[in-house]
Amino acid sequence: MIFLLTGGAIMSDTVVLNNLHIKDGDNTLVNKTSIVIEQGEIYGLVGESGSGKTLTAKAIIDLLPEGLNYTADKIITAGKNMLIASSDEKREHIGKNIGYIPQNTVFYLHPMIKIKNQIGDGYIYHMNKSRKEAMEKAEVLLKKVGFENPKTVLNYYPWQLSGGMRQRCNIAMALMNDPKLIIADEPTTALDSTVQRQVMELFGAINKELKISILLISHDLGLIKHYSHSLAVMYAGQIVESGYSKTVFNNPKHPYTQLLIEIIPSLKIKKSEPLAEIPGFVQEKGRDADGCLFIKRCPKAMDICKEYVAEHMDDMQDHYYRCNLE
Amino acid sequence: MLSYVLNRFKSAIVVLFVVSIITFFVLMIIPGNPAELILGTDATPEMIEDLHVAMGLDRPLYQQYLSWLLDLFKLNMGKSYVYGESVKTLIARSLPVTISISVFAMAIAVFIAFFFGMISAIKKNSIIDYFSRSIMQLGAAIPSFWIGMVFIVYFGVKLKLFPVSGFVPINQNFIKFINSIFLPSVVLAIGEVGTLLRIIRSSMLDSLKQDYMDMAKVKGLGAGKIYIKYALRGALTAPLTIIGMQFAKLAGGTVVVETIFALPGLGRLVLTAVEHRDIVLLQGLVMFITSTVIIITLIVDILVMFLNPRIKSFHQGE
Amino acid sequence: MRKNLSLIIGIVLVLIIITVWVMSFVFMPYNPNEMNIPNKFLKPDLQSEHILGTDNFGRDILSRIMYGSRNVLLVGIGSVTLGTVLGIVLGAVAAMAKRFANTIIMRIMDGLMAFPGILLAMMLVTVVERGIQGSIIAISIFMVPVFSRLVYSMILDTENLLFIKAAKSYGSTKSQIFFRHYIPAMLPRLITQFSSAIGSAVMIETSLSFLGLGIQPPFASWGLMLSESRQFFLVYPYLAVAPGIAIIITVLGFNLIGDGLNDILINRRSHNE
Repeated sequence: MIFLLTGGAIMSDTVVLNNLHIKDGDNTLVNKTSIVIEQGEIYGLVGESGSGKTLTAKAIIDLLPEGLNYTADKIITAGKNMLIASSDEKREHIGKNIGYIPQNTVFYLHPMIKIKNQIGDGYIYHMNKSRKEAMEKAEVLLKKVGFENPKTVLNYYPWQLSGGMRQRCNIAMALMNDPKLIIADEPTTALDSTVQRQVMELFGAINKELKISILLISHDLGLIKHYSHSLAVMYAGQIVESGYSKTVFNNPKHPYTQLLIEIIPSLKIKKSEPLAEIPGFVQEKGRDADGCLFIKRCPKAMDICKEYVAEHMDDMQDHYYRCNLE
Repeated sequence: MLSYVLNRFKSAIVVLFVVSIITFFVLMIIPGNPAELILGTDATPEMIEDLHVAMGLDRPLYQQYLSWLLDLFKLNMGKSYVYGESVKTLIARSLPVTISISVFAMAIAVFIAFFFGMISAIKKNSIIDYFSRSIMQLGAAIPSFWIGMVFIVYFGVKLKLFPVSGFVPINQNFIKFINSIFLPSVVLAIGEVGTLLRIIRSSMLDSLKQDYMDMAKVKGLGAGKIYIKYALRGALTAPLTIIGMQFAKLAGGTVVVETIFALPGLGRLVLTAVEHRDIVLLQGLVMFITSTVIIITLIVDILVMFLNPRIKSFHQGE
Repeated sequence: MRKNLSLIIGIVLVLIIITVWVMSFVFMPYNPNEMNIPNKFLKPDLQSEHILGTDNFGRDILSRIMYGSRNVLLVGIGSVTLGTVLGIVLGAVAAMAKRFANTIIMRIMDGLMAFPGILLAMMLVTVVERGIQGSIIAISIFMVPVFSRLVYSMILDTENLLFIKAAKSYGSTKSQIFFRHYIPAMLPRLITQFSSAIGSAVMIETSLSFLGLGIQPPFASWGLMLSESRQFFLVYPYLAVAPGIAIIITVLGFNLIGDGLNDILINRRSHNE
């Protein structure tokens, strides 16, 4: 569901983010971003690298790097108002209720600590369990993510595992506390295609069986199309279109979304046809301008787009886009 | 991995060899005739000549070197002119003193450096960070003899907290032992703290930037756990290596402190040897001390390799 | 701005010492070696003729400090300069030489570095005559390995840079390449190391003088002044204050400059990357 000016988020929504603004000194990185993730849905966040997807996700769980300033009208994560909570409260809440699976698997797990000694410490701490219980649960989860021999894996150091295996460990670790929300940042980018499939199926299964909400971040629209219930498309720090996946894919309103959909490689492409691409690159500066940021790369740009961009919200409140086109 | 260890051994042996050559030949350049020096001005030319031959000083230099080296292997370092006792005995007697203050000094320095180093990194650019870093710089610039004298006056004489000189062996009286080594160890530690603190701080800063710190935070663990279990463990490799090196160098550089506090350690022995141009004693001492430095550094390197599982595996293929 | 604080403080401190040094040639209140027994043990007094007091022989402490600065700086800067030059030569030779010569030189450097500093200095001082020359020689030998290794590794690193290859390709001779290209590339790090080395050199020199192995009495060296003050320290502690502070200022100053330069270098490099 899309939340905009009037409200419409409900208590049970897992994430309510309203007007998030992130700045690095004077430079705006993320501009007035709003997202609502319903309970039990898989929410896709799409965009090129540099579009602000990771930063937005990190803002939800108080993981932004020091040195960045952020403001928002609302940040409610898994039921807790993050804007008024203290550091300690936030930490406890996130540790207990959120699972985070980062983009980069190389150093996320501590290289000098065996898997068994880091996978369960959050569980032991938050759920008040013993080490034995933690190991048992870890084994169950490791099996669930596809490891044949969880006991062996537990005794390994992270660098003894391949990228895909590490990613699966991260997933298992994220599931330890039965979280209400999982944030998966480009979970499949570093993996080869068979493992990719495995991991995505796993996410689907978790979502269906355990009713866990998932924020799925990716630049791969094909992936999002297949697996997400709702999505938001980000460009240069702003959400340019969002809504239920079915709606958006059937009727993409923003030129950027349209282009992205066009370039999803499919089996139907003939061998000789070049893969389409969108010329140009995402701008780093000037993201707080009033006009449309996509103007330089937009095939349908108009003069008025330099100064003003209209925001549209579908009557049924499930399709939002920022564009001067109808 | 074995190959790496063997390589380090090989290097160490080569360096030891070079050190022995330098030690021996440098000290042989001393002007004057050793035999003459020993016998003094009363000696007749015949007496000098006899002693000369008896000491083997008429042989070609390389022969003298080889026989000295061979003796070293048998742990025979000759007899000191000044003291008349075997160098080995003298070293054995002085060693406990130097070891005591070195170890204690290192312990103090490590404790302070870790404490302030970690806090400095965690609270980067805070007041305590500035404070630590100033201490770090000052410590390296303060001459040990100066601060030693200051300590003696204030803590030793005015406040009468510690003895101003002398060494009490550990098996005699533990409290008095600690008392006698406390001030000199603190003075030594002041010199070492700076480097250690800098390394710890910088290692911690690197460690805190790593992705696993995100992981620790997202899992919602308490501050203590985060910093000690995750941050510190990632920051230990460099400090541990440095500690080993520092300790080794420290043991060789205790001369000044031993002089001020009148401690009968190796450093004092070296000073006496230099003052009286006691070549035999000096050669033995320098060889002993430097070899110890090299060996300790070697051991520390290997230990650190074992401690860091990634480096260990990196070399495992070898 | 904060990053340059070290550099600024360092420069200020070194300037203080240099001023003292310059003043020692221009105007010293008294002859530093002139004894004046009736006036011995005068306490420091800003109003009196002896601002920093007199020592056990009635010699004016301020003048002795000023005179001492000459020796300390001479030994400190002199030894490091000598060590640097030798180090550069050896490092360059080792880098450009064939395997055998290269190994020998580097092994000798390794050997030298294995000696703890003071020990090496003391050992060398045994061989040469004690005094200023002896100290300079001893300390410079101590400095050689550090610089030679630095130069050696920098040359090997720089070898692959494009402009060196370009120079080689249009036929410059080895020494031309060396002076016109390598040295400017190595200069920043050399200067940083040079400054820190002066700090260490001064520390070692004062230690040697303190032990009686450096500059000999009746000449003034701060280390010597401290050692001479030992016997009277309990009764007249002020005797040790001035030389101690002088040493601290000098060592701290050069060290801070070295550190400050290091910071700048690191920052510049990371901007370039």
